[in-house]
Amino acid sequence: MATAIPKVKWLLRSSMTCRLQKFFKRAYSSQKLTNAEVRQKRVELFNAEKERQMGLLTRVEKIEVRHKGVPEECTLIMNKDLSTPFNCAMHIHELLMTRSALALVNGEPWDMHRPMERDCELQFLHFQDEDSRILNNAFWRTCSFILGHVLETAFKDEYYVELCSFPPPNVSSGSFVYDAALNLGDWKLSQTELNCLSRIGYRLSFADLRLQRLQVPVSVANEMFADNRFKAEQISAIAAKSKSGSEVTVYRAGDHIDLSSGPLIGSTSQIGRYSVCAVHDVESPTFGKLQRVQGLALPTQLTMHSWTYDSILRPRAAKLNTGPIPVLRNLQAQGDLPAH
Amino acid sequence: MLRFRHRMRPRKIPTTIHAGQEGRLKRMRQIVTGLIRYERVEPTFAQADEARQYAERLLYLAIKNGDKHKETMDMADFWLLEKDLIHKLFKVLVPRYQNHTSCFTDLHKLAVEYPGSGFPRAVLELRGNPWPPVVPKQRDTRYLLSNILLAGARKDYHNSKQKAREQQLLQQKPQQQQKQALSSGSESVKSSRPHQSFSASSSSVDSGIPEIEEDDRSENGTLVDGTSFSRGSNSTLHNNSER
Repeated sequence: MATAIPKVKWLLRSSMTCRLQKFFKRAYSSQKLTNAEVRQKRVELFNAEKERQMGLLTRVEKIEVRHKGVPEECTLIMNKDLSTPFNCAMHIHELLMTRSALALVNGEPWDMHRPMERDCELQFLHFQDEDSRILNNAFWRTCSFILGHVLETAFKDEYYVELCSFPPPNVSSGSFVYDAALNLGDWKLSQTELNCLSRIGYRLSFADLRLQRLQVPVSVANEMFADNRFKAEQISAIAAKSKSGSEVTVYRAGDHIDLSSGPLIGSTSQIGRYSVCAVHDVESPTFGKLQRVQGLALPTQLTMHSWTYDSILRPRAAKLNTGPIPVLRNLQAQGDLPAH
Repeated sequence: MLRFRHRMRPRKIPTTIHAGQEGRLKRMRQIVTGLIRYERVEPTFAQADEARQYAERLLYLAIKNGDKHKETMDMADFWLLEKDLIHKLFKVLVPRYQNHTSCFTDLHKLAVEYPGSGFPRAVLELRGNPWPPVVPKQRDTRYLLSNILLAGARKDYHNSKQKAREQQLLQQKPQQQQKQALSSGSESVKSSRPHQSFSASSSSVDSGIPEIEEDDRSENGTLVDGTSFSRGSNSTLHNNSER
């Protein structure tokens, strides 16, 4: 017997071809969904869709970008539908590359990694501007987005976390929010476990992940979020609100993909402090029981004493945020969704 | 008429040794002349502070009376040692300050140099001059993300305090009403009137309100100060009218 077992193992290893392995994987996943598999699938779909959209660009055209602000006002000749504000910053100064979190293209908030479409005037925003409210909201939205990443990656495969949505950013409320069905059963997260979640978010700032924006048709989005019952229900309503009526915007950071109308900040390296503060149970009229996960974050550019952060802001962020509870609206009504 | 706060006391200004009042006046005229010419001068603080009122007065008269007024012209002739500045005063500065509501000059203290003369120095300047500003513009930090978060926390804290105070008042109110009801009840028993219950309730309402107000005064600083101050001032007013 002692010799038989390794023999069997060897037999299995040799005979199990790649196709067979995939079959087993699929058979297993049909029994129980895991977040890791779903994320992998989304990334593949995202890559395929991005490649398709890049294939549509057959001819490179030039546009004129006029930069306003420090260190100098200049005009750049860039590529239409290819060059992003980040590329312009690379031409001008390294400081603009690292600290700019958002751009204003013709006065409109524009992601750092979103290609520019026509001749335009470009301005870069950072967190110490005189009036950084637009950027603050983008930062808060990004933190909610990253909270989705934390929730999907933190737990073991036996817990399938389904993200629902997050309300519009409200910085003065003291916390950013993600409403999700954590499916943890009776498990109440302790302070130590919340700290572990915080650390996952905090570590992303070292990973320096770029937040990429992509507009995808409804069919692709439906395929991407087929495994998430909340998102699948929302997609048609979000698409109906969009300009073309049949497209939704998705964002990607690393292997995390989520729906968001944007804009988000340029990179996760601009998130300095990140803490997950509390999990509250909430009840949505259409989505049923959800968990409201709340957090607090500060940009790398802004510093704060630990006493202020830990004894004033964090306890406040742990109180239940009174932002709107996610509700699915009818297509006929087409009211604005609280989500995204 | 001066448009800024100024100490109305004479002070000794050391100009040159044994120059006396005449030397002081000469120095003042020099500074006023320099101010009108260069729009920014840097004498010692005492001299700048003293010369400021003469410059302000001169500008005020020039704006008020114009260049057809003989006395104003004499004043300009006296204070401006260089006579081409009379034209500048009436042709440039008067139009500039025509609709000014505040004073026409600024005085900034400078740091004391060491080693140096030992006299504190100052910058005296005309407002609206073409030089770069003495005090740099302060950045508005209200909308920094950290400050928005802290402002929210501050607002929450004050709201919670306010709520706690209101709750305390509400708790005190029923207790006092009970006390009043008890005392008036005993009185009514003594008098033994037929409508005792009605009188008891009315008396508790009437006397209950001022007592709560008194409690307000002892607890809320703002309310106390407002009421007591107004009362005090009223009484003094009456006294004055009686006199």
